Amino acid sequence: MRLLLAVVLALSLTPALAQEQKLTAEQVVSLAITEAIRPGFAQYAETAATLERDVAGLCGGPSEASLDVARTQFKAAVIAWSRVELYRLGPLMVENRYDKILFWPDRKGIALRQVQGVLADADPDAADPAKLGSKSVAMQGLGALEFLLFGTGAEQLNSAEGDFRCRYAHAITMLQAETAAALSAEWNDPAGISKRLLEPSEADPDYRGFREVAEALTGLLAHGTEAIRDQRLLPFLGRDGAAPKPKSALFWRSGMTVPSINANFEGLRALLEKSRIAEATTAENLWVSNSASFEFGNAERAGKVVTDPVEQALADPRQKKALDYLVIVTQSLDTILGENLAAALGLSVGFSSLDGD
Amino acid sequence: MWQRRAFLKAAGVGFAAALLPRRAEALERAELIFASSIQKREGGFGAALVNEAGSVISTVELPDRGHDITFSPTTGQGVVFARQPGTFAVIFDPHGGAQPQTLTSIEGRHFFGHGAFSPDGKLLYATENDFDNARGVIGIYDVAGGYKRIGEFDTFGTGPHEMLLMPDGETFVVANGGIETHPDYGRTELNLDSMDPSIAFVDRRSGKLIGKLRLDGGLHQLSIRHMAFDHKGRVWFGCQFRGPSADRPQLVGYATRDGEIRLIELPDATLGELRNYIGSVAASADGGLIGVSSPEGNTILAIDPDTATVVASLGLENGCGIAPDSVGLVASSGEGALGGLAGSPAPLTTFELNFDNHLRLLKAV
Repeated sequence: MRLLLAVVLALSLTPALAQEQKLTAEQVVSLAITEAIRPGFAQYAETAATLERDVAGLCGGPSEASLDVARTQFKAAVIAWSRVELYRLGPLMVENRYDKILFWPDRKGIALRQVQGVLADADPDAADPAKLGSKSVAMQGLGALEFLLFGTGAEQLNSAEGDFRCRYAHAITMLQAETAAALSAEWNDPAGISKRLLEPSEADPDYRGFREVAEALTGLLAHGTEAIRDQRLLPFLGRDGAAPKPKSALFWRSGMTVPSINANFEGLRALLEKSRIAEATTAENLWVSNSASFEFGNAERAGKVVTDPVEQALADPRQKKALDYLVIVTQSLDTILGENLAAALGLSVGFSSLDGD
Repeated sequence: MWQRRAFLKAAGVGFAAALLPRRAEALERAELIFASSIQKREGGFGAALVNEAGSVISTVELPDRGHDITFSPTTGQGVVFARQPGTFAVIFDPHGGAQPQTLTSIEGRHFFGHGAFSPDGKLLYATENDFDNARGVIGIYDVAGGYKRIGEFDTFGTGPHEMLLMPDGETFVVANGGIETHPDYGRTELNLDSMDPSIAFVDRRSGKLIGKLRLDGGLHQLSIRHMAFDHKGRVWFGCQFRGPSADRPQLVGYATRDGEIRLIELPDATLGELRNYIGSVAASADGGLIGVSSPEGNTILAIDPDTATVVASLGLENGCGIAPDSVGLVASSGEGALGGLAGSPAPLTTFELNFDNHLRLLKAV
């Protein structure tokens, strides 16, 4: 009897084991949503809601302590946002949401100009979220909020003198919290984007089959590392030996430039590893995820070397070297994710289509 | 008559004219040679001349990824432009007679990947980015002066992509894609909310704007990028849509120097296959067919410009380059495939290299 049971168990286990060796596309998509994307957006929604309350608290009781609380929570929201901002598909890509949360790149400094204009005029519309929401996207994003909390004149937020500035900042946080909540809710809606990704169909213009869903997910990874390099690192490091421009860095006023970049890498790494996408390839291609994880580890170590705000970090050879090295890591990840992983999955995230020329 | 001239231009008038009639006739029958930028399988970039039988005839090394290639109508010299935001163009002799020469864009400009020669072969024109001002320009280069840059014209728009010389030999037509980029931010598109794409007709001698055409009806995010002439001299164009991905605007249309511009109505199912992205546009030798490609949708279409209907299609993974052969169209892909459609007898062959977005016919080797 015992022997018979063992045989039955062995028979029933064999197919299951075989399946475990290679995940299906549906399993990968499901893991990506439940283990990386939904938790990421939930965290962002929570930090954005807390930020709204903290800035409301600051406006209601301005003090050095309440200003500190608001600033600390701004940093937490930036980290949570930076982890999910490269998940650029579905809810984030409609209604201008990305630009409303963060207007970047902002080469001409539009956000700064507009925020200074609002402050100079004490434009009451800016303190009304309903009206602010229909104004320029650059006025309602994290860049504008950062200037209000950390930029020139932010010290007046610790007293009644900063009342208008604080109310404008609060209006931004209300809009941000609202968008963050919507993103999280839409990712959790069983009939929404999750269903489209999990049940692709011919009728769906974007996702007609799992192949296109897999291309979209792989594209997020490959485009993500490119965005870190082109939109975050190189604009302030300088290209081709050009002098560094610390004030062209995102979030330099709050000292969050590099923490945000580190969180960008973490978000991509979470998507890669938690979706176990590489396990949808054949066993001989598992090296692809190993080398990607290796490079993400390198990025994490280099990111930790940079402990100063960006201006000082650029002046310190050791930290500057770590920043330059991050560029190299993104290039290596481009190849691993954009070429090797795509090839291992049998996708053509390939040569002529990934460009927009 | 113009279509013949256009065809001869591609074939290298100077070279063919120098041949005896019998020899020229033989050349007419000889195998067709195509040129494309390539990515090498072992890594690295170049431009290659290939034939329909699957052979690589020659290659030129490039320092980085190339884009389109244009040929001098008088000397047959080829120029391959860097893909944007690249700063090099490599001039090569398809007959292998001279060493390649590298041209560098001037400070404050980079290439967009396309260009054209003047009909007399004395000047080379290239679409370029005056990136600090988000202004498109046509760089002008003196061929006899070692391709020295002697000036520039405005394209009257942002983010110009393909430019062609009209069959009259006197008018440029430029596809201003409308997308602002700046090399500080790589290829990041900086103005998707305020894009203003257009087709501009520009006088070749004076640089003056003859006319500028825009698509109306809320299509400001429809980037006009590639073009070819049909047998009536109309400019067919293909677009890429930068708006919400679930929208499916029409992507193919034509414009005339007289000021007409319209999108044709492709059926929904066909449009779905194009994935909001046309990667290249080319005409058949007689201008009686317009080919458009979507590497994102793995689809090549041949359109009859008289009826504005699709007459042939080819499913081609990552297919983007299109060029005419003697009867139909030949398409190439980012996976190294090359094959014919719409009457072309070219069999589907695969090369050990990856073709970039554009394929050009060159008949004189």
